[in-house]
Amino acid sequence: MAIRAMETFEGPARVLIVEGHPVLREVVRTACDASPLLHVVGEARTGEEALEACRTVEPDVVLLDLTLPGMDGLEVARRLRGQGNDVRILVVSGRADDQTVFESIRAGVDGFLEKTASVRYITDALVRVAAGERVFTRDQERAAIAELGRLARRAREASGLVPSITPRELEVLGHLSRGLTMRQVASRLGVSIRTVETHVAKLYRKLGASNRVQALAKATDLRLIDLG
Amino acid sequence: MAFTAMTKPQASDGPVPRRPPTRRLGVVVVDPLPVVRAGLSLLIGDRPDIDVLAEAGTAEEAVEAVRRIRRSQVVVLVGLGLDGEHDSYWLIRTVRERFPGMAVLACGAKADPTAISRALFTGADGFVDKNADPVEFLQSLRKVASREMVLAGPPTEWVGAIAEGIERRRMVEIALTEREREVLRVAAEGLTARQIAIRLGVRERTVTTHLARIYSKLGVGTRVAAIRAAAHAGLVSVGIPE
Repeated sequence: MAIRAMETFEGPARVLIVEGHPVLREVVRTACDASPLLHVVGEARTGEEALEACRTVEPDVVLLDLTLPGMDGLEVARRLRGQGNDVRILVVSGRADDQTVFESIRAGVDGFLEKTASVRYITDALVRVAAGERVFTRDQERAAIAELGRLARRAREASGLVPSITPRELEVLGHLSRGLTMRQVASRLGVSIRTVETHVAKLYRKLGASNRVQALAKATDLRLIDLG
Repeated sequence: MAFTAMTKPQASDGPVPRRPPTRRLGVVVVDPLPVVRAGLSLLIGDRPDIDVLAEAGTAEEAVEAVRRIRRSQVVVLVGLGLDGEHDSYWLIRTVRERFPGMAVLACGAKADPTAISRALFTGADGFVDKNADPVEFLQSLRKVASREMVLAGPPTEWVGAIAEGIERRRMVEIALTEREREVLRVAAEGLTARQIAIRLGVRERTVTTHLARIYSKLGVGTRVAAIRAAAHAGLVSVGIPE
C-alpha cells in the first residue's frame, strides 16, 4: 500500500464534510468535534458547494458522500483531481457495488467507507486518510481489479479485436462438458434457465457453433475444456 | 463466484454429476532473458500442482510451443520485455485469438500503467509484477487460470491510470481503420511516406492520404504528434518521455 508523503503533523486535520443528509451531517460533525485530531472547517450539501468550499477553506481532508443532489460525489472527486487538487478524499457511500468502488478508486479517492460503518470508524478513517494512508478493504481492492478486467474486455470487444470468453461462460461450458442439462447448470449456478440459455447462445456465437456437440468439439480444439 | 444452488435440481434430470477434482495447472514461461525463465520455472516447477510445460525466449517459439499443448488449465506467462515486430503484445493477442482457452498472465519488472493497459487491452487476463512475492505470484497464476482478473504488484492508485490507458486505446482503435493503424505503426518506425508506401506496397499518394486522415481523426497537426498520441494509447511502441 503506497503512502503519499507523510506530512509533519501540525494540529488537527482540517475536515470538510460533504453530505446531502442534514442528520448525517450533524452526526459526523459531532463525532469530529469530539476528536482532538479532527477539526471541521466547513460543511457542504451539494457538489457545487463542495467544490466552492475546497477553494475557500482549503481542507486537509474531505469526507465525501457520493449521493448528492445535482453533481454527485464521484464528479466532485473527478473535478478536484482534474484541477490538480490533491486534498485527501474519504468516500462514504450508501452503495458499495463493484462499479461504484471501481469508479471511486479511478476518480482518485484515498479511502472508501460504507454508510453502515460506525461513526467511530468514520472518524478513525478520517484521521488515517488525513495522515496519508489509503483506506480500502481487500474486498474493495479486489472489486476494483475485477471491474478493471471487465473494462478491458469490453474495450477489446468494442474494438472488434478478439471475442473473449467470460469467466461465467467458461464455467457454463465446463458444466456442459460434464453432461449437465441446462436446468442442472442453472441450479448449480443459482440462476434461471433463461440466463443459462443466454450464456450458451453467446458461447455458440463466439465458438461459431450451432449445437452442443459442435460447441464442445470447438471448445476442446481451443483447449477451453478437456473431453476425457 | 457463487456456486450456491438456489433451487434443487428437478428429479427428472437425475443426479447432478460431482465436480471433478481441480486439475493441475500447466504454465508456459515466456521471457527474453534466460535467467528470468530459469528462475520462474524453478519457482513454478517446485509446486506439486503446477507443471512448467515449456519455456520460450521469443514470441514465435512461444506460439510454436503453445500449439503443441493438448490440455486445458494452461496459463501463458508473458514477460513484457519481448521486442521487435513480434513483441509481447503481439504474442498476447495471438494467444488470445488462436487459443482463447488459455489464460494469459502478463509479467513485468518495471511496467508502467501504459504497458499494463496495453497488455490488458490486447488480451491479458492479468498482470503480475516480477517483484511480487512468490506466494502472490503463484496465486496469480491460479487465479488467471480460472479467468479471475489479477493485478498483483502495482498499487491500487494505478487502477485509474490503467483504466484511462485502456479507454484511450479503445478510442484510437475505434477511430482508425485497420489500414490506418498499420500506416501509423510503420510511420512510428521513422520511415518517410515513400518508404512506408514501399513497405506496404501502395502508392506514396495513398500513404499521405492515410496520414492526413489519421491526423484529423486524432486531432493533431503533425506526424510526431500523431505517433505520440498512438504511443500514449499503446498502439505503437516508441520511447515516450513523461
